[in-house]
Order: sequence, then C-alpha cells, then structure tokens
Amino acid sequence: MREIRILIVDDSTVMRKIVERSLRQAGLDTLVVHEAGSGTEGIEVLRVHTVDLILSDINMPSMDGLEFLRQIRAQDLAPGVPVVMITTESSEEHVKQAILSGAQGYIRKPFTAEQVKERVLSLLTAA
Amino acid sequence: MLLNGVRTAPHKRGEGTGKNEMECVMKVSMRESLELVSDPLNLDSSVEEVFKMMLGMDCQRETTLPVTGDESVTAVVGFGGVLSGACVFRSDASTAMRIAAQMTGMEFDSIDDTVKDAIGEIGNMLAGAWKGKVPNLAANCGLSIPAVITGRDYNLHVQAPEFELHHVYRFEDAWFEVTIICDGMQ
Repeated sequence: MREIRILIVDDSTVMRKIVERSLRQAGLDTLVVHEAGSGTEGIEVLRVHTVDLILSDINMPSMDGLEFLRQIRAQDLAPGVPVVMITTESSEEHVKQAILSGAQGYIRKPFTAEQVKERVLSLLTAA
Repeated sequence: MLLNGVRTAPHKRGEGTGKNEMECVMKVSMRESLELVSDPLNLDSSVEEVFKMMLGMDCQRETTLPVTGDESVTAVVGFGGVLSGACVFRSDASTAMRIAAQMTGMEFDSIDDTVKDAIGEIGNMLAGAWKGKVPNLAANCGLSIPAVITGRDYNLHVQAPEFELHHVYRFEDAWFEVTIICDGMQ
C-alpha cells in the first residue's frame, strides 16, 4: 500500500495529535504526517514536501486557515490537493467562506474519529 | 426578517396586507433573543458534546464545586461581534492533567505546555459548541484564541454582566466549572 502524506495545520499540538490519531484509527497506518503550527509554517512545509491531503484549523494566530488556503491556491503550492478545514466555527456562512476559499471539506470540532475517517477517505478515494 | 443583517423568511404578519414588504422588515437583536441565548440547557449540552466526542467521557451536572486549595487551570475564550463576553473553563490541576491525558494518551505529573494547550482547546470547543446552539450567534459572533491561566486564589470579575451562566460538572471523581459571561449584546 502506498504511503499517504498528510499536512496537519493547527496552532494546538494537542489537536494535531488528536487528528493524527483519528487518521490512524481510520485505518490509515501508512501515513506520513507533516505538522505546522500556523498558516505561515504550513506554506513553508508545502514548499519542501508534496502531500496528498491537507487538514487545517481556521482560527490561528499569525496566519489563519482561510488565508493559508487562499495563499496556497494563489501560489499554486498544492495543485489538486484536497483541503479539509477543522474548526469550532459551524455556521453555514463559515462553511461557505471555506468552500469559496478553496476547501473541499469541513469538520466541526468537537469531532469523532469516525467523522474524520468519513471525510478523509471520501476525498482520498476521489483524488 | 433581518437577523442582524442576515435576511431570512419575511415577517408573516405583513403578508397579504398590501403594505410594501420593506415596511414589514423587523430587526431582531440578540437582546430580543436573550432567553434563547441564556438557556442553561445549551451549556449543558455543549459540555456533554465536547466531553463525549473528544474524551469519551460522560459528565454530570453538580451543584457545588469541592474546595481543594490546589493550583487551578483556567481557559478563557473571548466572544466578539453581536455578543461580547467570554467562555471560562476552570478545574484543579489534577483534573486538567486527567483531561490532557485522555486527549493525548500521555501521562502528566505537572501543568506543562501540553496540558495548557489541551485545556485551551477544551475552552475553545466549549465556546464554539455553545455559540453554535444559537444560529445568529454561530454566524455573527467570533471567538478569540484561548488564553490559559494557572495559579491559586484568583477570581475573574466582570462589572455588571448582561447575564452569566455558571455550571459545575463532574466526570468520575474529577470536577470542573464552566462559566459563560456576557457583558454586551447588540
């Protein structure tokens, strides 16, 4: 089975761990996980590494998740790579904003490992 | 009807009266939905949701918080927009370490950065889940980055809040409190 390379962008190290654990619980054992604590760090990671999927928080200091998403789309840093936003913000307006900025999926915190599995596997299968 | 600038269905009373639709448009402020916003059940279900989904723990509402004299850990997440105020999570050090251990699968014997990070995230998710219960708040109220305070013998005081919800909860033999303070509404 080929390795799946994932970038997790969140200012919380605990949330990054939880997301990674949820992905492993989803059966993605052949994971290579890159981590970034802000949108700015996420861009740096994408300049060096190629990934298959990006999971990003929205509410972060320095550069938030929506700006990160706009920047990677504008700079063509991860062409065709699906992005899933993981956030506490849950209104239709926030989802719409994320989709307009180029996200393919949205997971609301708190979440279960099952919800992460469902979103991630459907995007990886479609890619 | 306009809900803080977000147009939804027209106001029923004006339908079929021949009046210009604009005359029937009514602004509904957060203050007018105070009863819904300050419903204590919203806080209970937010706590239940966060602890069940992220920690696999069932929480029970309690009436009083046992006084331990231990160091405490507090996460504060501010609200801004149509409602201003804060969501405050507070527990003693041992409860904070148990929560962090459950979230990360690690063991802790002191309040280090990972424990503070975990408690900040709990505060963030509680604030997000609570505001998500009221559609107008979900759409028009933002959250700050969590601030975490540790120490002993401190109190958070807000001068004349619009309303305050203060609930105590327990899981197993660990206790914590969650406070929603609203000091302004549009």
